[in-house]
Amino acid sequence: MEETDFDSDRAAEDYYYSSADDATRDGAVSEDADWNFDSMEEEDLLDSEHAESHKGSDRSYRILKKEDVRQRQEDAIAEVSTVLSVPRPAATILLHRFNWSVSQVHEGWFADEDGVRKSVGFLDHTRPFSDIDASDRITCGICLDPYPPAEIFPAGCGHPFCRECWGGYIRTSINDGPGCLTLRCPEPSCRAAVDRDMIDKLAPSEDEKKKYSEYLLRSYIDENKKIKWCPGPDCECAAEFDAGGGDSWDVSCPCYYSFCWNCLEDAHRPVDCQTVANWISKNKDQSETQLWILARTKPCPKCQRPIEKNMGCMHMTCNPSCGHEFCWTCLGDWNNHNSCNGYNGTDAMEVDKHRKKANKYVAKYAHYYERWAANDLLRQLALATLHRMQTEQLTRLSSVQGKAENDLWFITEAWAQIVDCRRALKWTYVYGYYLSENEGAKRRLFEFLKGEAETGLERLQECADKELQQFLDDDGPSKYFEEFNAKLKGLTAVTRTYFEKLIKALENGLSEVQTTGTSGEED
Amino acid sequence: MIDFSRVQKELQECTRDTEASGIKVSPKSDNLARLIGTIPGPIGTPYEGGTFQIDISLPGMKNEDVGMVINLCGVIGGFLFADGYPFEPPKMQFATKVWHPNISSQSGAICLDILKDQWSPALTLKTALLSVQALLSAPQPDDPQDAVVAQQYIRDYQTFIGTARYWTETFAKTSSLGVEEKVQKLVEMGFAEARVRSALEAVGGDENLALEKLCSV
Repeated sequence: MEETDFDSDRAAEDYYYSSADDATRDGAVSEDADWNFDSMEEEDLLDSEHAESHKGSDRSYRILKKEDVRQRQEDAIAEVSTVLSVPRPAATILLHRFNWSVSQVHEGWFADEDGVRKSVGFLDHTRPFSDIDASDRITCGICLDPYPPAEIFPAGCGHPFCRECWGGYIRTSINDGPGCLTLRCPEPSCRAAVDRDMIDKLAPSEDEKKKYSEYLLRSYIDENKKIKWCPGPDCECAAEFDAGGGDSWDVSCPCYYSFCWNCLEDAHRPVDCQTVANWISKNKDQSETQLWILARTKPCPKCQRPIEKNMGCMHMTCNPSCGHEFCWTCLGDWNNHNSCNGYNGTDAMEVDKHRKKANKYVAKYAHYYERWAANDLLRQLALATLHRMQTEQLTRLSSVQGKAENDLWFITEAWAQIVDCRRALKWTYVYGYYLSENEGAKRRLFEFLKGEAETGLERLQECADKELQQFLDDDGPSKYFEEFNAKLKGLTAVTRTYFEKLIKALENGLSEVQTTGTSGEED
Repeated sequence: MIDFSRVQKELQECTRDTEASGIKVSPKSDNLARLIGTIPGPIGTPYEGGTFQIDISLPGMKNEDVGMVINLCGVIGGFLFADGYPFEPPKMQFATKVWHPNISSQSGAICLDILKDQWSPALTLKTALLSVQALLSAPQPDDPQDAVVAQQYIRDYQTFIGTARYWTETFAKTSSLGVEEKVQKLVEMGFAEARVRSALEAVGGDENLALEKLCSV
């Protein structure tokens, strides 16, 4: 992406960027005076990621930062306030009541204004103390002390409370949680709403006002079915999904956390949410359960189901669907069974064979689990490298090789690609685990595509890691750097293509297995 | 921190009004953070005639709030309480044993919304005790504190009434005859003690009804 593009995009965009229409995000609202390298990298990276992950999909999402959400709230409040001719704090209460939907507020209000007013606690505003002499004293309903009228603050309903008591009431409510957004007059029988103006006027400190405003902001996301918070650690971004016909829910957040918008797990293309849920729950109980099964059970020699022996004699009969009868000691067929307690080398081998069979499914799980976990670890390490690149390595490289930092974006892109690939690769092992053993052709295609992709990825990572290191260790500009530049760019593109093919093929359930058995290699 | 000035005012107001309401609040010790409330059992209920004592403990300031309060004192002069009573509800539980679906027969814990999330600082100890008294009149077995009592209330209302009355007679009456005296009286009339006790329990502690029951068998 070029600088000019970025600026014009930024000028044109409103308060969000969209992956679908390729507008760019304001990655650095506060750092705009001079060109900021980090922000450019992020732009580029996001663009490339989005462009990739959403190719061929008509779903789209937007990343909303806190300021974006606040802006949306402000816009909604302004609209409701104008259309209904109510003050802004009242509009805020109405919007909160109607899940921050302007149209719902309008609908509700115009259908039954009185009902809505009543339900949110709007009362006819009166000046309850106007006819009271300034020398009179009014008793605060909480501390029961007398005050001059000027020191009493009613919530529009006339119930008198002093500033200190309001302060305590508001702080207690705000410290209790988001319920403070629907705060009412302290008088139990009174339903008068305490709006934001009252909070701002009477909250005892800035701390409470800040918390209130934070709850208000959060309510916008929490009550909106189309927006979810990014589950990334310490991330304050939210993702909004537009309904669409595509099948990918993956969201790449600017915090570099990629997640599935639907199930909020780690992004998991090409496998679906249900498979991920199955896999995760399997991982959770697997270790304990497996040990127990291995320690306490033997497999039925015919159907291989694990059987626990908790009573009775050695004559075993498997469950009805199998019904196989066998000896518990030697696992031999009961029908021609005499005695198995004498030592016999071949019998022992038989037993061993059966054991092996039983262990097969454990071994299968272990095989896929190990590779799944290994790739996840490699993904995390690659992510750490990516951060290191951005924070220190590129600056160093720039000075050693005499290149401008914004000419080095291809390195960040390569590492972002590696992170993405490791994630996808990790999930292909889950796909492999659940792929039926009987689908020989599919399995072969799957292994082929995965092999290609893996080889490409290893080459890319080798180049982005070891070869780059040489240039970092150089004393001055190297004449081979341009070559390296071209090679890394090329490998990034090739690997991306391999993985796209792999992901697409798996998402299609390897349906092309009959027709295009050799697809997957070009470039 | 507890607003003791308000607690003082509440106590005075409550004392003035005791004749009419029957509700008493008195300090357990001299720091006013622990009090004893007394309510009469509502007329027309199995609690009628009983006097129920309620332990009241006023929440003070949490330790982690101390810094904030000091800070606030600096910012707003004279701001002396934070988060304690009356901004947080008083903790109340029955000291007198009582048989009621929303009150634990073991601990005396009360399940009442205004003592939890529906509390408002504009409520007082007296209004809270009045609500507890109202709860005695109108049990809510769908939202039970004591599941055993609630089940009995729903499945066998008559037995519930009998047990509640018996508990009132046994634990909430100080002036009239205690159960042991009634047992002794009836035993002296020549009935077996075990029969007397079960008869008394079945009719809710009323010695005349118990006598009728004993004679009718």
